[in-house]
Amino acid sequence: MNSVFEILRDNWLLLLVGQYPNGPLGGIACTLILSVLGIVLAFPLSVLLALARLSHWRLLNWPAGALVYIVRGVPLLMVILWVYFLVPLLIGRNVTGFVTMLCTLVIYEGAYLAEVVRAGIEALPKGQMEAARSLGHSHLGAMRLVILPQALFNMLPSMLSQFVSTIKETTLGYVINVPELTFAANQINNQLLTKPFQVFFILAVIYYVLCWSLTRAATALERRIEAKRAGPRATVAEIRAAGLVQPVAAEP
Amino acid sequence: MIVFSNVNKWYGHYQALADINAEVRKGEVVVVCGPSGSGKSTLIRTVNRLEEIKSGELLFEGQNVHAPMSSTELNRLRSRIGFVFQSFNLFPHLSALDNVMLSPMHVAGVKRGDARDKAMQLLDRVGLAAKAMSYPAQLSGGQQQRVAIARALAMEPPAMLFDEPTSALDPEMVGEVLAVMRSLAKDGMTMMCVTHEMGFAREVADRVWFMDAGRILESAEPETFFRNPQHPRAQRFLSDLRSH
Repeated sequence: MNSVFEILRDNWLLLLVGQYPNGPLGGIACTLILSVLGIVLAFPLSVLLALARLSHWRLLNWPAGALVYIVRGVPLLMVILWVYFLVPLLIGRNVTGFVTMLCTLVIYEGAYLAEVVRAGIEALPKGQMEAARSLGHSHLGAMRLVILPQALFNMLPSMLSQFVSTIKETTLGYVINVPELTFAANQINNQLLTKPFQVFFILAVIYYVLCWSLTRAATALERRIEAKRAGPRATVAEIRAAGLVQPVAAEP
Repeated sequence: MIVFSNVNKWYGHYQALADINAEVRKGEVVVVCGPSGSGKSTLIRTVNRLEEIKSGELLFEGQNVHAPMSSTELNRLRSRIGFVFQSFNLFPHLSALDNVMLSPMHVAGVKRGDARDKAMQLLDRVGLAAKAMSYPAQLSGGQQQRVAIARALAMEPPAMLFDEPTSALDPEMVGEVLAVMRSLAKDGMTMMCVTHEMGFAREVADRVWFMDAGRILESAEPETFFRNPQHPRAQRFLSDLRSH
């Protein structure tokens, strides 16, 4: 156990930010930036993909469906390797491992989130769209004002769990030398040579704490939005009741 | 104002609407009644094109509703037809006030402040000004349906369609919704209502259409219809209603 603290004391900066400022930003900082950018950029892509998948227009519907199925049908590592070798060919110059990994995550998470968004939209009662259209809203207007706000709220837990998956998926950046947390841990392990269990124990704990606290944050966020929806002066009991009653009251 | 001529509709081989010829005149209240599955809801949903028709013509204020038109034109047409659903379909993520303000702001382009004033007036009209900030989940069924009526009125439609507006309500809440509809009728609103509330039909309707198997079998003034129905199917329907 002592050696765990020793390793932490000697290498906390490397685990936190990698070689920065003498090298690229790495460690936890790199993992978090990669995950956040990945999910933030994947989100609009996923909404567009979902809308295209739900469109009656085949020109939109088919390519979107094909992309989603292909990406979901291959392992992430395969997408990483494809992007790694294909992107430099396409743009004619080398890109950093970070950019490669970011592109991969956006494509991969975009496809997965698109299915979450689509399910969220399809789960809403048909009457919501009908009501919006009969008031004169266009299809896209109804999506933007009525359908997506509800669908995205219902999806918040799924989206956060997708974010947690993304954090875990950044570890695969290791194979193309992205200086993220796993890469940093491996550097430490290579220096010490004799303490792999301690080093990878630390790594596992860091990932666990990150992911667990995010899951907790998601739950808290969900409660707050539910409380807001239950009304400004609602008591805790009413909030709970509204959370339970809501779907029934909205669509009896 | 709403004119059906030879309207037909099929679901596969099943004919949902058969040779509908009828008219709702300006300022008139028409109640559509009949057994379930008779095509009442289908009929009312063809008026704002929530359902397509197979053949025939449907005019709303002289405009052919089912003619090929751009989606912008269709949206504009729909905004002139108020529609109230059986299941209310309020937007649960918006307060009552925001539900009513949404289409004036985003469809008609009314400024927020003006939309707000108008929405408050409408909520006041349906007796719910005090509930403006409540979310649908906090309102009773009757209150939700009254907000839905206010929302439909917000685009100032020349006609209102009601598709079984009280069928999803607990009995004690039916009255408050009918009261709102009654006051609309009194103000001269053109209304087409699918409903099982025969008391409402008798008191408020100018005409009653009786439907069965996709046809309008009888169209009469309520007094005549209830006292002396002509069609045997209508006679049976009314006696079934009275027997319980």
